[in-house]
Amino acid sequence: MEDILGLLTPALLNSSIRLATPIILAALGGAICNRAGVLNLALEGKMLLGAFLGILGAFFFANTYMGVLVAVMAGGLLGAFFAFVYLKYDVNLIILAIAINLLILELTVYMMRILLGNVGTWSDPSIQKLPDIEIPIIQDIPVFGDIVSGYNIIVYLSWFLAIAGYVVLFHTKFGRHIRAVGENQDAAEAVGINSRRIQLFALVISGALAALGGAFLSIGHLTLFTRNMSNGRGWIGVSAALFGFSHPIGVFLAGLFFGFADAFAVRLQNVTDLPPSLIQVLPHFATLFALVLVALREKLSLYMAKRRSSAALRSGSEAATAD
Amino acid sequence: MTNAVEMKGISKFFASSNVQASSNVDFSVETGEVHALVGENGAGKSTLMNVLYGLVEADEGQIFIEGKEVKIGHPDDAIHHGIGMVHQHFKLVPSFTIAQNIMLGMEPSQYGLLQPKEEEEVVRQLADKFGLPVDPSARVGDLSVGMQQRVEILKSLQRDIRILILDEPTAVLTPQEVEELIQVVRGLTELGQTVVFITHKLVEVTKVADRVSVMRGGKMIGTKKVAETDIPEMARMMVGRDVLFRVEKEAANPGEVVFEAKHLTVLSESGVPAVKDLSLQVRAGEILGVAGVSGNGQSELIDAIAGIRPVEMGSLHLENDSLDGLDVSARRDRGVAHIPEDRIHVGLNMETSLEENALLSRENHPDYNRWGMLIRSAVRKFASSIIDRYSVASATPEGGIVTLSGGNMQKVVVGRELAGDPKLILANQPTRGLDVGSIEFVHKTLIEARDEGAAVLLISVELDEIFSLSDRIAVIYNGQIVGEFAANEATEYQLGLLMAGGSLDQEESAQKKTPAEALP
Repeated sequence: MEDILGLLTPALLNSSIRLATPIILAALGGAICNRAGVLNLALEGKMLLGAFLGILGAFFFANTYMGVLVAVMAGGLLGAFFAFVYLKYDVNLIILAIAINLLILELTVYMMRILLGNVGTWSDPSIQKLPDIEIPIIQDIPVFGDIVSGYNIIVYLSWFLAIAGYVVLFHTKFGRHIRAVGENQDAAEAVGINSRRIQLFALVISGALAALGGAFLSIGHLTLFTRNMSNGRGWIGVSAALFGFSHPIGVFLAGLFFGFADAFAVRLQNVTDLPPSLIQVLPHFATLFALVLVALREKLSLYMAKRRSSAALRSGSEAATAD
Repeated sequence: MTNAVEMKGISKFFASSNVQASSNVDFSVETGEVHALVGENGAGKSTLMNVLYGLVEADEGQIFIEGKEVKIGHPDDAIHHGIGMVHQHFKLVPSFTIAQNIMLGMEPSQYGLLQPKEEEEVVRQLADKFGLPVDPSARVGDLSVGMQQRVEILKSLQRDIRILILDEPTAVLTPQEVEELIQVVRGLTELGQTVVFITHKLVEVTKVADRVSVMRGGKMIGTKKVAETDIPEMARMMVGRDVLFRVEKEAANPGEVVFEAKHLTVLSESGVPAVKDLSLQVRAGEILGVAGVSGNGQSELIDAIAGIRPVEMGSLHLENDSLDGLDVSARRDRGVAHIPEDRIHVGLNMETSLEENALLSRENHPDYNRWGMLIRSAVRKFASSIIDRYSVASATPEGGIVTLSGGNMQKVVVGRELAGDPKLILANQPTRGLDVGSIEFVHKTLIEARDEGAAVLLISVELDEIFSLSDRIAVIYNGQIVGEFAANEATEYQLGLLMAGGSLDQEESAQKKTPAEALP
């Protein structure tokens, strides 16, 4: 037991934050889509595309930041394609997302073979990892500095985007229009808001965010690409968006929670005799647990509403008989 | 004085449903008046107003706003010309505050950021100006329906509307809210607004309107000053005849109580009680008609009896056996038949053939099923018998149900439900949307079933239908039975009063009977 408690170190929080970053980015994208009333289940595919094109861009331009840019633009374009097919041809969002996820998974393997002559895992010594940035002054604060400083640009960007997402959604005209479209499209259109444009924007942004998360995997965290590198993180992002009630700050915390579960599972393998495969399931149990909580909260509020009205009813009929 | 609105020769034909919704209609509204537009369902009121608001494009006709001819192809054009419309279904965002809803699309912002204080101040001033007090920071989802309607009205006014169309604004309101709305509408005209008030409740017309225009069958029948007309005259113009159309029928010969609901409470979709402590009885060989404005708990009542919706409190009995805890098919086995309100989605399966629809819920009956396999020939014979008996036009057992007209679809539903001599027939708006011939057929069939001893519980929002079929009439309002009459003792006026949430206290109370007394 003491071994397990011994795991709770700044180093564990460091790796939690790193593992949380792609999830947070995907989840922010998912949250914006939820707010705009378009369910985005293609985050997984968009993240994988970002991971693949990120490392490819870094290799060809011999510049890691160019790799990040390529990934973000590709993710945005894929989001725009998704939006185009949905808004123009009214294709079912779930089927479309499944198709895109499967397509990207196989397409990346195919392109690896064609471009790089390689099927399993690809890397090249010329590719530089995104550098870690130490924040002056803050890095010198004991413990806090260790936890907050020393990450690459994408990690800091994910923090900034969570705050920016909150400001945009709740304190700008545009964000309010997004929420209006998501909650009652008729109401938004009745006052002249172009709901299609808003949904297009949400899908493009979410594609770019998920792809940024993917780039973090291939050139931020490691410098290699493997088949199915996103490995379910896009799906965990979908869950984190729900668990965080599609609120950017809530989504950020939900992402951290999943990152922590991930990091904790990795550390746990070193100190216990439990089979590693069992421990690797732990983050997914965390996801399940989170979604059960979300579902229970909805059930509970419905149940409370029913109880309130029944109680009101009973006291009402008692009053009537008393008359 | 120029008219605020002048519509000339408006015609509109809907090819999809083959309906001439509007034929050469002239309609004018004077500036500053409340103009009531009345007519039965399908008379063409909504089409006319949708043309004015740019939701429907007319085939022919001209529109003049404040003397100038205009083209209105989209609601944005209408708003531009100062025309606003409050629909029956509000277009509001529930999680937003009142101020956020009113200012949606025209929010003040500074350096890209919203200004909630300024927004609320604008709304407060607007509310003061028109004497419609609201709390700008209240969440719209927490408001009563009447308050939400007020928000919609304010939303229009904020967009500099001078001509406000209210589409059946009282259909969803409580009587107190109706009174308030009438005050609000009168107040608006004092401030120079012009209001078109669509309704089919004539009592409201006399309270709120300066003039009234009556439509029937897509034609404008006439426009009168409200002070120079009365309810019977308006009703005559609306219906087109003095005497109500009645089906010929023998006097009822009621037997034992077949069905009884005791202290029934049923919750609506949103968890609030839609049926409240309601009790009623139906006897063998009689039709109990439940009259009421749509949305007063009728559907929840029928669904609860049919077993589709759970009963919150109270009990249901069929011939002294409790129905509580039985599922839909168990209730059907015991003799409950259900002609649902929505034949397209609930009554029938549009994807499949007439015979499969006719068979629904009898799939396990030994006549049609042997060792888990359907006996096609028997099924076909059964379907053919329905086609013959109810003269379902241009139908074959194998043909898709979707090819039939509404009236013929309903005949299949009625045929299926009445086969096997049900003890209790739940008929929820059985003739909604049907043509006159089909209506007559359904009515006759229900009366035949009654004469053969079935207990019939009829729900209808059409008073004509209630009067022509019922042996007893109950009025449902706000989930409760607020009055019961023997059919020959009820008047349309009394029912209308009760349906609108009024009371008969000022009337001779002898007319009003408690449920126990009303039973023969």
